[in-house]
Amino acid sequence: MSNPSNLRKTILRMAFNANSVHIGCAFSIVEIVHALYSNFINIDKLKNQSRDRDYLCLSKGHGVMAVYANLYEIGLIAEDEIENYFSDGSSLTGLADSHVPGIEVSGGSLGQGITVATGIAMSKDLDEDNSKVFCIVGDGELNEGSAWESIMIAAHRKLNNFILIVDANSYQAMGRCENVLSMESFKNKFEAFNFETLECDGHNLEQINESLMTLTKSKIKKPKALIARTVKGKGVSFMEDDNIWHYTRLDNETYNKALSELA
Amino acid sequence: MREVISNFLATKAAADKNFYVLSGDHGYALFDEIRRKAPEQFINTGVTEQAMIGAAAGMAKTGKQVVVYGLASFIPMRVLEFIKINICYEGLPVIILGDGAGTVYTTLGASHQCGEDIACLKTLPIKIYSPADKFEMKLCLEEASTLDCPSYIRIGKSDRPAVHTIDSISKLKSNLTIRSSNNRTAIFATGSMVSTGKEIAEKYDLSLFSCPTLSYFNTAEFLENIKKFDNIVTIEEHSIYGGLGSILSDFISENGLNIRLHKFGITEYFTKGCGSYDYAIKFHKLDVNSILRAMKEKTLI
Repeated sequence: MSNPSNLRKTILRMAFNANSVHIGCAFSIVEIVHALYSNFINIDKLKNQSRDRDYLCLSKGHGVMAVYANLYEIGLIAEDEIENYFSDGSSLTGLADSHVPGIEVSGGSLGQGITVATGIAMSKDLDEDNSKVFCIVGDGELNEGSAWESIMIAAHRKLNNFILIVDANSYQAMGRCENVLSMESFKNKFEAFNFETLECDGHNLEQINESLMTLTKSKIKKPKALIARTVKGKGVSFMEDDNIWHYTRLDNETYNKALSELA
Repeated sequence: MREVISNFLATKAAADKNFYVLSGDHGYALFDEIRRKAPEQFINTGVTEQAMIGAAAGMAKTGKQVVVYGLASFIPMRVLEFIKINICYEGLPVIILGDGAGTVYTTLGASHQCGEDIACLKTLPIKIYSPADKFEMKLCLEEASTLDCPSYIRIGKSDRPAVHTIDSISKLKSNLTIRSSNNRTAIFATGSMVSTGKEIAEKYDLSLFSCPTLSYFNTAEFLENIKKFDNIVTIEEHSIYGGLGSILSDFISENGLNIRLHKFGITEYFTKGCGSYDYAIKFHKLDVNSILRAMKEKTLI
């Protein structure tokens, strides 16, 4: 398995080749996704599409390049798909799309992926299958009422196989979450909704791994939430905490400058 | 009709551990039987229609057979986008039951009446059923449960008189013959309006067809059936836009047929005022007398 720096390079390559936006929200989840594929998702079962596989459901589908970069590392996405991102007739879309092998739910429409992820967790719980369902939501995405419907269902059904990871990068499309629709404290909210809840630095691999280990090993019959404090655009100085990189496309200069920081 | 649904769900659940019914806190007595026979396989998700559709999709993705139930005003209307992305785009064989379609809940006002469900779903890859009585309902449920794609069964006013007898129907098709005549005007009706059409057809000796499957008209057999008429009257407890009338209108024009179509359905969008089901049907001019009056004005009878 590669390292976060290489994953960010793949994301930049895709974004540059495709003239794509959504770099900032992919960068904020790089360490989270990397930790999941490295330590918590059974890759063989994923490749075999086993029914009892662990699921990673990217509900905040806008960060999908981070997942593509990981799927590329494990061989589920081919080099030419990365190189030809967004070319006519290609398979990888700009938002998470379940028709792509390895992408479990379509996350383009916010507040929807989490509802399907909950259903998958319900099904596994009914089957007494021990695998896990990890679902990454954005803090902005949690504006959606449907997300909270699913959160209530998961809590009511005590789905301790359901691990919701909030990419708390503090930004949503039009600005800072606290200015658009303030929702903090997420920790208090999830605890009030009967989730076993932890908070961590979403770019510190040790903290992410430790938190996820605690939550996945927990015997408490509750769904889990990990509030991962992240930085939008993390890893490239001129992108960090600047929402413009939700929308801005790379040119030769910014691409090379960004790459040089990741060397 | 409701007994057929209740029995079907309970029997299916008892026979198949993989079969689940989800409801967003609606249905009450309809689910007494399944709750008695297979309580674990009936899941009330609470008043969470959006999350329920997602959950149904998630369960279906992992191999469960799922029926999801709600009032048509909410399932499919409130959650149309969830159905589009999570069920239709995935092509999952989830069966959606939309109850109280049309003006059934007339005393409850606009929020609970639904004359637009077929129109909205027609643009998506989902099989649409609109049974007229318990016999058609049984066949619709049985067929839907064998499909490998999404389906929607529209449940309208359930206490209208049966239009078939137990022996008169064994297989679904787009136009089931209720009565035949040599008259060159025919009625095509769906759901609750088939029994209304039957009163008219019997009185004026017209052919009458029930249309329980609104997804497959494009057959050579249907073309032959329809060709022999000069005038076709459609009756449905649904908007005249996007329902049975529109489907036949497309069919007639696409096949270059010289048939005049007369659509009877909901034109006023919302029922004005509160009252009985009969009041609402009269308001929308879908009662026998209103339709007869209009047909006479058009010199169809």
